[in-house]
Amino acid sequence: MNASDEEWNLLKKVQQMDFVVVELTLYTDTHPNDEEAMNQWREAIKEAKKVRKQYESRFGPLSLLSVPSKQAIEVGWHWNSTPWPWQR
Amino acid sequence: MWVYEKKLLYPVEVTTCNPMLARYIMEQYGGADGELAAALRYMNQRYTVPDKVIGLLTDISTEEFSHLEMLATMIYKLTKDATPEQLEKAGLGAHFVNHGHSLFYENAGGVPFTTTYIQSKGDPIADLYEDIAAEEKARATYQWLIDISDDPGINDALRFLRERENIHSLRFREAVELLKDERDRKKIF
Repeated sequence: MNASDEEWNLLKKVQQMDFVVVELTLYTDTHPNDEEAMNQWREAIKEAKKVRKQYESRFGPLSLLSVPSKQAIEVGWHWNSTPWPWQR
Repeated sequence: MWVYEKKLLYPVEVTTCNPMLARYIMEQYGGADGELAAALRYMNQRYTVPDKVIGLLTDISTEEFSHLEMLATMIYKLTKDATPEQLEKAGLGAHFVNHGHSLFYENAGGVPFTTTYIQSKGDPIADLYEDIAAEEKARATYQWLIDISDDPGINDALRFLRERENIHSLRFREAVELLKDERDRKKIF
């Protein structure tokens, strides 16, 4: 597996985990009393954060809410670095 | 406010230049039942709906913007390497002379987007029923797009989007029930 495959696969993992949050957020919007769903939602946010941290520490922030890691800065990461999502 | 995320909601993999397919997908980009219409519609309605459903309209509208970005990515990738001749053959000659290779909010027939496609009625039930209809129409359009497309990468992303329309429709139906319950409770007391 080369570096760019690794990056792509880890990004896909972030997309997966973030999607779980999106989906559970909509569900809990209309089911505020479903405690089981609320627990899943809280867990999903934690899991998504972990995977995002893994990605961002190596390949740089995905949004301006994350602090750039030393490693990302060392490899020359800038917010304006390509690829943008439509350039992949 | 919103914060940009440097990733798509769901991966869009395109390997073949296909301007005709790009033109068809523009129906969901800048058409009457497309993602721009959906995103703008809900984002405007949310200010005057009951508190119980503000979150839902905000969250679905935000998700629609991420769908819009997926469609933009498809259109961009399907057309970026097309020659003017190829664009013309695909029915995008008029698009090319006006916009070059850039994207524009228009439907598959080249009609520019207009806010006359959408409503904000100041009546939550009327608004939510429009929203349910919008999701169902978008779902139908995605189905026709999947039927006409033979690009596996595009179809994978279109199927994801079609399923999201189903979920949004379901959530809006639940929102209607939440408001009806509230209304009925008020009558009792």
